[in-house]
Amino acid sequence: MIVLENVTKIFPRTRTGKAVAALKEANLEIQPGAFLVITGRSGSGKTTLLNLAAGLTRPTAGKVLFHGEDWWTLPDRIRSLERARKIGFIFQFPSLLPSLTSLENVALPAFFDLSEDAREAYTRARELLCSLDLGDKLGAYPRQLSAGQQQRVVIARALLGRPELLLADEPTSDLDDQTECEIMELLKRIHENTRTTIVLVTHSTQPVRYGTQSIHMAAGQVIPGPMAGDDAVKLL
Amino acid sequence: MDVYRFALRNISGNPFRCLVVVLCAGITAGMLLASTLILLGAGQSLSKAIHRLGADIIVVPESAAAQVESALLLGHATNAWMPAAAVGQAAVVPGVQAVSYQIHLATLKNASCCTVSNMFLMVYDPETDFVVTSWLEKNLGTGLGLGEAVGGSNVFTPAGEKNIKVYGYPITLRGNMEPTGTGLDSSLFLTLETALEIARESVIRAEAPLVIPEGSISTIMIKVRPEYDIGSVARQVAARIPAVKALAAPEMFQSQRAELEGLRNGVILLLVITTGFSLVLVGLVFSMALNERRRELGVVRAIGAPRSFVFRTLLVEAGFLGFQGGAAGSAITILALILFRRLIIATYGIPFLTPSLPMMMILIAGSLTGSLSGVLLAALIPAYRISHEDPTIAMRE
Repeated sequence: MIVLENVTKIFPRTRTGKAVAALKEANLEIQPGAFLVITGRSGSGKTTLLNLAAGLTRPTAGKVLFHGEDWWTLPDRIRSLERARKIGFIFQFPSLLPSLTSLENVALPAFFDLSEDAREAYTRARELLCSLDLGDKLGAYPRQLSAGQQQRVVIARALLGRPELLLADEPTSDLDDQTECEIMELLKRIHENTRTTIVLVTHSTQPVRYGTQSIHMAAGQVIPGPMAGDDAVKLL
Repeated sequence: MDVYRFALRNISGNPFRCLVVVLCAGITAGMLLASTLILLGAGQSLSKAIHRLGADIIVVPESAAAQVESALLLGHATNAWMPAAAVGQAAVVPGVQAVSYQIHLATLKNASCCTVSNMFLMVYDPETDFVVTSWLEKNLGTGLGLGEAVGGSNVFTPAGEKNIKVYGYPITLRGNMEPTGTGLDSSLFLTLETALEIARESVIRAEAPLVIPEGSISTIMIKVRPEYDIGSVARQVAARIPAVKALAAPEMFQSQRAELEGLRNGVILLLVITTGFSLVLVGLVFSMALNERRRELGVVRAIGAPRSFVFRTLLVEAGFLGFQGGAAGSAITILALILFRRLIIATYGIPFLTPSLPMMMILIAGSLTGSLSGVLLAALIPAYRISHEDPTIAMRE
């Protein structure tokens, strides 16, 4: 599904004026149906890898292929459409739009895909929110929700387009232990029920047990994790 | 949810930014509309005043030429006289087709014998007049009889009264002329016969008598034959009649035109400064607001919004705010111009005629377009920059 070929990402300017190599000649293949957990310390390049996989940022060197096609040979409109249709995002930080209700936040990605029907999008968003026990929060704004509720709305948004790939960037970092468990169980359930490919990035080793594979990252390099031998993940 | 609804929801989430942008757009639109309205209204008013005076050349006493011009525009009688014999002298100048004269009088100030205090009375001779008479024939079908008058557009008979009292003499108002935006709109036009009757009666009816100096007139009105040059005929008239100034109609109201020109330059400078300042401020506010929203916009891009969607959303937001500000600014400007019309006239010493409704609509549309374009222009660079930024960098902020 996703192939990284000799991918290097250098951020040219930082506040110190020095270029930072966030990822160094990474080679990785993620097969459909995997639940890959990427662990590593802050600054190890996990989030950069996730963003590269989603075609959000252009690699400094190397190629990132999505279904065999280089993200960066596609025009922005097509790249964005592919993301809206096939990729769901769960961010580490509060990522709901403050001026939209829960229902509108969840339905939002559908409006970037002009082929989507608005009524259908709202119906699906409502169903998703109800299935995540947020049926009574459809009209609530993000500021009216707890951190855990907000993250469940984000998960609902990520699932709206029945994505092939779910990218989760430290989705539980701001949550208490109980809510963290609930969110991880939810992701596991989604993976088991829908066979959606999930790539989860975390600085903790706890979530590794929820995944089917894992890799570790350090100083911008990919290192095989405890379950890296699985067929679904290949370190090329 | 389309771009427009999405933009509207974003606007409602940031009241400070909205207020600043709406204010800037309002000031730009208001300035644009006010300056255009005043300059256009004043220019139109001068043209209408010349047309209303209806002569190719107006001869006035040399010593009081400027005062007479100003008096005609602002509707105040002056105490400037010249000998009536000058009419005959003007009539024989080659190129003169018709000659008439006017006597300028005024009602008493704060006197119970005069319905309107200090009202400008323009007296004409029906035997020779070619200005008021033609208007009367066209609009009323007949000339004015004894005790009758026509008024400017602002003259009316008070409620419950049958006539207007001038030095205690009842004057019947036969009709009103079209507005010119000048003092002529508050003036009364009457025949020499009526004026002399008022003067006679005023001795017993008024608090003070109306005095018309015998053998004196205020202005001479000259119509020039079409084949003659107005300017050269005016020069000949001035050369033949001592102590007068012959003003060719196209050259009349020079001091007011100069005032208008000065005002125009000042207004343009002020407009450039205000618009420039507003554009910079709107640009800064947009940049600040977009910097605050970088992460949010990065998320929107990450979940599937193309650059064009983000760019259009931001421009639509700017457009909504620009339009709101422009509409509010235009509405306030029009209200202020209506309320402070007299103050503007008094301050600048220029007449002002409110443009017609279609012209007003065009000017409002123009000022709205101006403010809208300004806000869009100011938002263009920040919107382009943020929509083309790498979403991962935007989300990291």
